[in-house]
Order: sequence, then structure tokens, then C-alpha cells
Amino acid sequence: MKADGSPGRGRAGVRGIFAAIVVLYALSIPWYRDPAQDVRIWLGLPDWVAVAVGCYVGVAVLNALAWLLTDFHDEAPSGDEERP
Amino acid sequence: MSFEQLGLVALGLYLIALVTVAEVARRARLDRTPADHFLAARHLGTFVLFLTLYATAYSGNSLLGYPGEAYRRGFSWIMATGFMMAIVVVFHALVPKLRPIAVARGFVTPGDWVRARFAHERGGAALRGAVAVLMSVALANFLLAQLAAMGVVTQEITGGAIPYAAGVVGLAGVILLYETLGGLRAVAWTDAAQGLLMLAGLGTLLVWLLDASGGLAETTRAIAARRPAAVAVPDARECANWASSIVLLGFASVVYPQAIQRIYAAQSAATLRRSLALMSFMPLATTLVVTLIGVAAIPRLDGLGLVEADSVMPRVLREWSAGGFVTMGLGVLVFLGALAAIMSTADSVLLSLSSVIAVDLLSRPDDAPETTRLGKRAAVVCMVAAVILALAPRVTLWRLIELKMELLIQCVPAFLLALHWRRLRADVTLLGLLVGTAFAVGATLSGTSRLGGVHVGVIGLGMNGMVCVLGSLAGRAPR
Repeated sequence: MKADGSPGRGRAGVRGIFAAIVVLYALSIPWYRDPAQDVRIWLGLPDWVAVAVGCYVGVAVLNALAWLLTDFHDEAPSGDEERP
Repeated sequence: MSFEQLGLVALGLYLIALVTVAEVARRARLDRTPADHFLAARHLGTFVLFLTLYATAYSGNSLLGYPGEAYRRGFSWIMATGFMMAIVVVFHALVPKLRPIAVARGFVTPGDWVRARFAHERGGAALRGAVAVLMSVALANFLLAQLAAMGVVTQEITGGAIPYAAGVVGLAGVILLYETLGGLRAVAWTDAAQGLLMLAGLGTLLVWLLDASGGLAETTRAIAARRPAAVAVPDARECANWASSIVLLGFASVVYPQAIQRIYAAQSAATLRRSLALMSFMPLATTLVVTLIGVAAIPRLDGLGLVEADSVMPRVLREWSAGGFVTMGLGVLVFLGALAAIMSTADSVLLSLSSVIAVDLLSRPDDAPETTRLGKRAAVVCMVAAVILALAPRVTLWRLIELKMELLIQCVPAFLLALHWRRLRADVTLLGLLVGTAFAVGATLSGTSRLGGVHVGVIGLGMNGMVCVLGSLAGRAPR
């Protein structure tokens, strides 16, 4: 959050991270592969499993980064945010 | 010394350690208010908060049920790593909004949010009651499942010296003792020890399994030779189930009452951020590991039936433990890790259940010492009832456990949508919750758990959300 209260680069960065996480989740599911296709072994795993594991490693790193960049504090919320 | 004797000794030492921690936690309490008992006076630091989140999120089902499912389904169970990670991702929609309000207003239970958000609206009180009922039913079912798993593991680790019934009753008594003595402080401290035990146990087991199988690639080739379907690319239906599981677990788990209360209990926002950042990696260290253990068992234990597959982990451990005293000791460590996972989930569930009953269902003030006492009495009653049911499980009751996630996910609009959309009204949120719940319960009880691979709870959530959005847009915006 900038000093004037507008969203800063941190929030934009977190949104970009979320978009990347959604893409990684979509790629982790092998919906784009033909079930009859031959399976190769990559890094000791069936190729589609290696892709899924790679995607989840990426999600873990990006999500951890997003948590470290997410800006929230313990003060009472300002009146224009939540109703309660 | 045999495996059973070593297991008995280790179990005894472990239980003594738990009770000792509880006594230390009791002496550390600041006062007798519900905030001190149920939230450890909101003083949980990064290390303990992270480990209690970890130990609570990974139950007996994660350590015993997931290897069985991986054995049955093959490598497609890698989806479990994705859906466990989705929980920490979806928390972004809840924590940054809920935490500041919870701290400012001194929330103790999940229902405190619903009361604050919909305080003066028509249907607000009924919505809070409905959310509390759904959460209580889900928690009670969860507790029941953990007690049954505790009995099974105790019997396994002691070779039957402690039978199932004695395991259920004895360990339930220990949990009740340390939970009523020390509240969340005792639960979180024991969770921290239990989390470390789980990690140590799983890590050593995976190293042994891969080493004994000649490495990961060799294991995969052996699986492909024995059961080609286990390595084949999943079909469209399995992919739909994969996506649906990510949605179901990701959204339902963020409204776990015990998870919400840990958000309230964190020492500071920075503590919570760091703990959740660490939690992002735990599916790789836990779910991925148990999945690999399950699939690696396919060539070693080929031919197990559907039900027998649930015993994959104990069977692998028995085989491992036969290798000598060191592996026997490590085998006992893994069993204790599994027991720790189960007990840490059971204690958290019991503590949340007792607070939801005392504050949300019975509407007692969340700042009075009498509410703490009522919560402790509720914990005793719930535990006794759960033990009785666990000792004589009936199929119809066990089937209700399947409903846990389908029920919990119907509470999502009352939290996530209500936090982000001011126009959402209490009466339509209640209507949406009832519609979604009726659909999910009706479909499950009629024998349909998925439609086209998609969980009925997810479809119910879609209907629930539609009612919430369309109903709120159609009516007058709340003042």
C-alpha cells in the first residue's frame, strides 16, 4: 500500500502471482493429454506426473512469496472497507 | 526386544510427554477467559503456529488413508498434493480481510464473524445458527473418524497388546485431559511436537522405500510392469475429479473452524504471514511423500482388495521393521508419527467443537470465564459421545463422514463472499446455504457422491453461490 492509500506495486505483484498460480494449476491436470498416449519417465516419474509435481513446486514457491508480499495489519479496519 | 514391546514403551513415553506438556501449559495460562483457553491468549508465535497449523491440517486420513488411495488409483493421486496446497492458496481470500476485524473485535469463534457481519439483518441470527450447526456436525464427524483411526493405529503399534477399544478410550482420555487442562496452548504445543514427529517419520520411510526399490525410476518401471493403468494418463472423468477435488478441499478447508481459530490466535499479522508461507511447502513434504509410498507399494503388495488397501502403510512398515533393530526403531517412529497426526487433529477438532457449542450454539458471552467452563463440559460430553459411537461404528454413521467437506463448503459464502461483497444479505445467504446443503446431503444419501467426476458438494456450492448473488442483486442492499 502506498502512502496515499492506493494499491502499490506489491498488490499488483501479488495479483500477477495469483494469475501464475491459476495457470500452473491448469497445467498440472493432464486434460490436454490423450489417455492412450505413451508415457515416458522423466526424473523417475511418469512424464505427466513430473509435470504436475513441477507445477506444484512452482505453486508452493509463488504462494509463499505471495504471503510474504501480502500487506495486512492488526489495526482495526478503516470504515470504507468492511461493513461490520 | 520385539516391535510390539518397543512400540508399547514408545507409546507410554509419548503419552507421558503429552500430559507433561499439558501441565506446563496449564501453569502458563494468564486467566480463565475463553480467549485464553480457546486461543492461547492470541500469543502463538511463528514456530508453534506453523507446526500447529501443519499438524492440524494433516490428519490420520492424510497418513493412513492417502497411501491406500494412491495404491488404489495409482499416480493420479498426485492430485492430493495439489488440493492440499490449494488450501493455503485460498486462505489469501480469507486471512487478510478477516484477521484485522477479528483482532479489532476480539473474535473467539467462527460464528463471531457471522454475528458481526450480519448483526442487524433479517435472518442474521438464523444464519449464525445454521453455520454453527453445519460446523458442529462436520467437526463431530471428523472427531469420530480420528478416534476410530487412533484405535486402529494403537492396535497395530502394540501388536494387539492394546486392543482397538482400549486404544480409543485411553487416547481419548489423554486428549481430553491435556485439552481441558491447557486449552489451545497445550494443543498447540503438543501439535508442534507431533508435527516434528510426523515429518521425521515420513522422511525416513520414504528414503528406505526408494532405496529398497532401487530408486524412483526403477520403482515407476516396476509399477508400470505390474499395473499399467497406475501410470497411464488419466481420462477426462479423472481429470474432472482432479479439478473438483482442488475446488472442494481448497474452499471447504479454509472454513475449518480450527483453522479459523488459529488465524485469530496468531501473535501478529507478520507471524501469520510467515507461518502460512511455510505451510505452502508442506504438501510437498507430506502429501507427495505419502502418495509416493502408496504407489511404491503397488509392486511390493500387489493384489490387495479395495478395503485391504487402507492397510498399505502398516504393511509397508511391518516389512521395513523386520530389517533389524534400527529399522524397527524407525518403524515405531513412523507409527508414532501417524498416531501424532491423528491425535493432533482430534484435539484441535474437540477444542473448536466445544467453543462453537458454548459460544455459537448456546450463545454464551465470549469473554466470560463461565463460557470457558461450559466449553470444557461440552468437550467432555462430545468426547464421551464420540467414543461410544467409535466403539460401535455403524455404516450409516460412518457414511456421514463422507459429508464433512460437502457440508463445510456450504459455509463458504458466509465467509468469503461476505468478506468481499458488501451487498450480500443474511437472508439469501441462509437460503443459499440451505439449498446447497439439501442438494449435497440428498445426493450423497441417495448414493451419488459425484456427477461426471465433480463432487456434489461443489455443485451444491455453485447453487448456493447463485442463490446468494442473484438474491442479493434482486433485493435492496443492506444498510
